[in-house]
Amino acid sequence: MDRKEKKTIQAKLDSFHSRKLWQDKIMKRIFQGSALLAALMIFFISYFVISRGIQPFLSSYGDEQQSLIAFISGNRWRPDIAPPVFGVGFIIINTLLTSLGAAVLSFPISVLTALFIAKIAPPKLRAVLTTIVELLAAIPSIVYGVFAAGTITGLVKDVGDIFGINTYGGNSMFAVIILLAIMIFPTITSLSVVAISAVDRSLELGSIALGASQMETNFKVVLTSAKSGIFAGLALGLGRAFGEATAVSMVAGNRMIGPTWNPFDITRTLTSTILSGMHETSPGLDYDMRFSVGIILLLVILATNFMIQVIKRKVGGVTHE
Amino acid sequence: MKKTKIFVIMLLVAALFAGLVACSDKKTTKTEAPTTKATEAPATDAPATTAAPEPTEAPTEAPAAALTGAIHVYSRDASSGTRGAFEELVGFEGELTDDAIVTDSNGDMAAKVGADQYAIGYVSLTTDFAANNIKAVSYEGVEPTQENVLNETYTLARPFNYVTRAAGDFGNDKKEQLVKAFIAFLTESAEGANAISSAGGIVDAAGKKPWAELKADHPIVDEDNSGIELVTVGSTSVEKAIRAALETFQPMAGNFTFKMSHAGSGEGPAGTVGAEKDSAKKGDIGFTSRPFKDTEDVSQSMSNGTFCLDAVVICAQLDNPIENLNKDTVAAIFKGEVANWEDIK
Repeated sequence: MDRKEKKTIQAKLDSFHSRKLWQDKIMKRIFQGSALLAALMIFFISYFVISRGIQPFLSSYGDEQQSLIAFISGNRWRPDIAPPVFGVGFIIINTLLTSLGAAVLSFPISVLTALFIAKIAPPKLRAVLTTIVELLAAIPSIVYGVFAAGTITGLVKDVGDIFGINTYGGNSMFAVIILLAIMIFPTITSLSVVAISAVDRSLELGSIALGASQMETNFKVVLTSAKSGIFAGLALGLGRAFGEATAVSMVAGNRMIGPTWNPFDITRTLTSTILSGMHETSPGLDYDMRFSVGIILLLVILATNFMIQVIKRKVGGVTHE
Repeated sequence: MKKTKIFVIMLLVAALFAGLVACSDKKTTKTEAPTTKATEAPATDAPATTAAPEPTEAPTEAPAAALTGAIHVYSRDASSGTRGAFEELVGFEGELTDDAIVTDSNGDMAAKVGADQYAIGYVSLTTDFAANNIKAVSYEGVEPTQENVLNETYTLARPFNYVTRAAGDFGNDKKEQLVKAFIAFLTESAEGANAISSAGGIVDAAGKKPWAELKADHPIVDEDNSGIELVTVGSTSVEKAIRAALETFQPMAGNFTFKMSHAGSGEGPAGTVGAEKDSAKKGDIGFTSRPFKDTEDVSQSMSNGTFCLDAVVICAQLDNPIENLNKDTVAAIFKGEVANWEDIK
């Protein structure tokens, strides 16, 4: 091999490398672009919803201008009368009650299921259970809605009959809570499984070496170490509960006053308020107010996520992140 | 791992099919005896009344005293046309009780009332009552049937009227002929009646002729009318029916164009033969969802009349002993003044 040949090979290699570097640069830009697009999407959606939703409270809205204080503190939602009354206060309370009720019902079951799947179940059963949870998560919300309207309401009605409570055909806050609990179960479970499986084996072994039983280890070491992931699951699950519109609308009953405290009484959530009559409304106050409710919903979700972060810091002793 | 996964999925699919088969079995038994669902919940010994709601007098009278408890008022959302008609005809506009449940659609209303023994609601006359486990309640002693609506004894109904501009006032002879043709299509043809009833209007199909027969009197429809724009004004309630009729008529009549600017019944006569007939609100055909008032002189129009009727039916669950309600009682119930079933006389 003479020098000339070596040089050409070197040149070829160089061009190969530079081409690769160049490709790398292009790919980097593409990734950057898609990340930017995703970020912009959030910006656009928020901008559109907020700019639309604050319109009714500005003086530029004319005669139909709404009072922000009456909107937030109101306990009556009557867009149908003249002049319309838009009070979202009781709807916020209803939404919090139904979603948190669902979380209270679903969270312990989800975490225990996740613990069983990740630590206790034999491998075969683990695979079966994991698949079932994944499939549950894949069921579309409208299917849950049909199920709720057909089955859960009947159940609630029967329970109401036992207690001598005159239910609205089973449409009730209780039905919404059960429905949401079922819907958020797979979300919390699958994230908890991932979190629990990721706990360092050495922590567990250390705990057992110190004399703790397997169960003590599971509850006091594994769960507390996985709390970050578990609470992320809770946050996502609550997000789904707050945001679920279709299925909830089918069993909520859309009460126009509130708040609803009796679980067998009908209720109204922020999402069902946005959805109710959406297909027949025309641009105007009734349409714009739906965006205002949307802003409130966004705020409620943000506030809840913040609360979950606070709770997370208080729960468990192990700081391992 | 993967094999188990596939196995589980297959198992679930099998379970799903088993469930489907089981459910369809249930459904067939249900259609045979629609009351089975109702009997299992309140445990009343309701007789096996199947399709006919009131074949025997005695057993329906017996639970009449039995139904006590709060009335559950079901309503539609504010933008619903059925709700608009109902509130207007009963006369409690804007006074619906705060305790009402708001349903999403006619079907949603029917299904929810069918599942609630204490419910009262209202649906359109075209609803499938038996399938939803509901029954139609008579109003002022008159049963809501198509015949009773057409012979005007059932008063929870309203006429949909039309009025055209005066002859020679269309500004264009071709347009006048086209309007004439459309009115013939709307009121006399079977196709027009079909379009209207598909949009929820009630028309007497008897005596309607096929358009092919009527067409001979209106040669204008064979020309190219794409340059003509018909403007309709008036009631928003008629919009659906008129849109259906216009869209059916369009390809049959030389592809004319149309603009619908409906804002309320008052604008119908006003924009065609009344004070606003030369203003920006003018139209070629006006519509009202009520009879013409004495103050609305429609005598100079080229033609006017009723093209269909609109009826609302009060409904309750099949087991509910209620048979008849009067206007004042209905208003009181929906305003929330009468709150319990036992308070209804």
